[in-house]
Amino acid sequence: MKRSMFLLISLVVLTSMILAGCGPKATPTMAPATEVPTEPPPPPKVSIATYNDTSLSVPDCDYGGFFKSIVATDANTVTFTLCKSDAAFLSKIAFSPFAIYPKEWIEATAGTETRTSEGLEKPIGTGPYMVSEWKRGESVTFVKNPDYWGETPLAADTLVFRWSTESAARMLELQSGTIDGFDNVGPDDFATIEADPTLQLALRPALNVFYVGMTNTFAPFDNVKIRQAIAMGINRQRIVDTFSPVGSEAATYFTPCSIPNGCVGDPWYTFDAVAAKALLAEAGFPDGFSTKLYYRDVVRGYLPQVSNVAQDIQAQLLANLNINAEIVVMESGAFIEESGAGRLDGLYLLGWGADYPHVTNFLDYHFGKDVQQFGTTFPEIYDNLIAGGQIGIPADAESYYIAANNAIRELVPMVPIAHGGSAAAYRADVENPQASPLTSEVFAYSKPGDRNIFVWMQNAEPISMFCADETDGESLRACEQVMQSLYSYEVNGTATEPALAESCTPNADSTVWVCVLRQGVKFHDGSDFDATDVVATFNMGLNPGSPYHVGNTNLWEYYDYLWGLMWK
Amino acid sequence: MNDITEKIAELDAEGLSLKSVSLWQITWRRLFRRKSAVVGMVILGILAFIALTAQWIAPYDPIQVLIGVEQVKMRQDPCIHLLGCPQDQPQHIMGIDGNVRDEFSRLLYGTRLSLMIGLSTVTSSIFIGTILGALSGYFGHWVDNTIMRVMDVLLAFPSLLLAIVIVTVLGPGLINALIAISIVSIPAYARVVRASVLSVREMDYVSATRAQGGNTFQILFKRILPNALTPLIVQGTLGIATAILDAAALSFLGLGAQPPMPEWGSMLGSERNQVFTAPHLVFYPGLAIMLIVLSFNLLGDGLRDALDPRLAHASG
Repeated sequence: MKRSMFLLISLVVLTSMILAGCGPKATPTMAPATEVPTEPPPPPKVSIATYNDTSLSVPDCDYGGFFKSIVATDANTVTFTLCKSDAAFLSKIAFSPFAIYPKEWIEATAGTETRTSEGLEKPIGTGPYMVSEWKRGESVTFVKNPDYWGETPLAADTLVFRWSTESAARMLELQSGTIDGFDNVGPDDFATIEADPTLQLALRPALNVFYVGMTNTFAPFDNVKIRQAIAMGINRQRIVDTFSPVGSEAATYFTPCSIPNGCVGDPWYTFDAVAAKALLAEAGFPDGFSTKLYYRDVVRGYLPQVSNVAQDIQAQLLANLNINAEIVVMESGAFIEESGAGRLDGLYLLGWGADYPHVTNFLDYHFGKDVQQFGTTFPEIYDNLIAGGQIGIPADAESYYIAANNAIRELVPMVPIAHGGSAAAYRADVENPQASPLTSEVFAYSKPGDRNIFVWMQNAEPISMFCADETDGESLRACEQVMQSLYSYEVNGTATEPALAESCTPNADSTVWVCVLRQGVKFHDGSDFDATDVVATFNMGLNPGSPYHVGNTNLWEYYDYLWGLMWK
Repeated sequence: MNDITEKIAELDAEGLSLKSVSLWQITWRRLFRRKSAVVGMVILGILAFIALTAQWIAPYDPIQVLIGVEQVKMRQDPCIHLLGCPQDQPQHIMGIDGNVRDEFSRLLYGTRLSLMIGLSTVTSSIFIGTILGALSGYFGHWVDNTIMRVMDVLLAFPSLLLAIVIVTVLGPGLINALIAISIVSIPAYARVVRASVLSVREMDYVSATRAQGGNTFQILFKRILPNALTPLIVQGTLGIATAILDAAALSFLGLGAQPPMPEWGSMLGSERNQVFTAPHLVFYPGLAIMLIVLSFNLLGDGLRDALDPRLAHASG
């Protein structure tokens, strides 16, 4: 009897183990106590765009994107009608994912799931170089475009892209003369390059900011004097000198100075521990206070040694202000979520890298009216941002950004610490060495000494060269040699200049932009460039209902993020 | 005269003496005869000395940032004047760490932290483990069953993983790490004590006390426990090494000592990516952890041999 009982129990246990092992994976381990009726999945989004050869439009602006319509008014004019005013229009339109392809090529290479291999590897554009050969895993070779519309007197006949993930390996190649330039000089190689007369360094201006944030809804950060004391009590230059790569600078404004209207108004407080302590005492904390210092252990260009920087700020707060900050390391996702929602009750270390080089991409994303990140927002700041954001010409908007920057300095929603730089290295005889703040070096504007071939080495192989649907910087740089947008960024800078368009002029509130196209431009396949190519390109990127809305990843991240896909 | 002294010494070597010698005296003598144990004790003695005198022998404050104080660079190599480092440079015999602090001073203060961590966790877990083990062994039946099954559950988890879980629940920090390590090392002591109590419980002198009307408390704490102490001492000494290692591991993972505390594990952890560019910042804290753990292990092994009556005649 007892034995059969035992047998039965062991059988039950064994069966349940087998069931558990082979059961469906989806079995929830922690079922909710009450069954929540599951909502039906949202209906799949459908395209709302209408397209014909000369026009792409949506019936209304409810879908949340930027474009109302893109119309080829004649063969050489395209009119962009926006749903909301956008002062950053030119900065965005110049970005390489929005480069213009020939209409016939878009249609011919569409493929079914992804672009055809022709479409992914040999883009047809209007740039100074054309793709000649892509040896996967080895190199991409470009040859000069004989019909290029612009002037490129320095360009070598052949341009070669190679790659290596190790900065030491790139350095060795440059020293041995097998390449003409490489990107991302390793921290230990700066001194070597500066000491070597056969090499030269090109410092890349920073296009990011690292700041110490605080949420002003938590005491004692609700007191502006406390915030000002912290702003004065941190020696920013010391942090930059000790921990940031060469080419970095202590921040005097939130926005880096390479961006138009970024550095206007009064510069940030100079470091003054005595004045800071006096302010703290005035605010009722003569003996300092205890708080927390949050960060995520993730390396970014603006914050390469995050734990050391955190410890230095901790030490500075204690020494200069008697603020006792306990360091708390958070998981990256949780940190971004908590800081973004303004739920961190102490100081935190975070930064921002530019999506597109416009002051709105820095200020509006942090100090706009509905941003919760630093707690309560201030009309002194956001009113100026709203006004400035409607003006397309940088010089006209300057007064608003002066006022906004001064208000930021006065109200201290956060403390900007540094703009982190990086560098490219070249052989000394390379003329016009480039290190673009946007990492969009165009090598047609550089000359490799007396050689007729320019060899560039970057960190990684391009993923594909269909850059309308890529986000990776190494891919975008390769495309920039071949493809052009209506506008482009100046060499080694962020200001925009006309490229395929001769001009794009806004109306008074920057909601309608009329672009007059350059005439006589030929694509690499010999076809002529005109307004229908522009409309076809944007139809490909923005209209999910189009049969040509086929890319590599099919996420169309930059089209979606900067303009908004036309569906709902 | 000499002959007699030698004779006595020989007899001592056998653990038998003409004079009455206490267990502890015998143990000490046996311990000193084991070279490895002596090495362990010497290292430990030096470390204890460093820990006690850290504030006088350390050249710098362990959390003082030297930016602006001296002309030193982040992660600078060691500079020792005796080994040819120029006299006009400040001496940093273990170099400068990633936050421009003197590595040597941090290491010295770290000794204090590590010894405190080892002793405090082991003391608290021995205390709790002894009570649980004694109760379990003495009362038996359901008390024994309940306590030992709970201990079995604790033992079923790898100790470091369990400690990580506990720290995650309590929140990172040195005190919480100590609590976690104490908790995970309780079962080992509880088992040792229970086993000893079980064997001592049936001894004649315990029965005698019971017959004389001694109460439970007297029997347990005056008769049984002192005689069950020997294995606990060995286990405790070895346990200190494990506790220090676990605490260093937790700090390495960022769950234990928080910056700027000069804890060896966290010093090692924060510079682990610099192993090729600044090896001194990884080498010295690692060496220090190795030394302290080695010294406790050597001492523990020596104690085990010295205290084990079966090995008494083999020792020497």
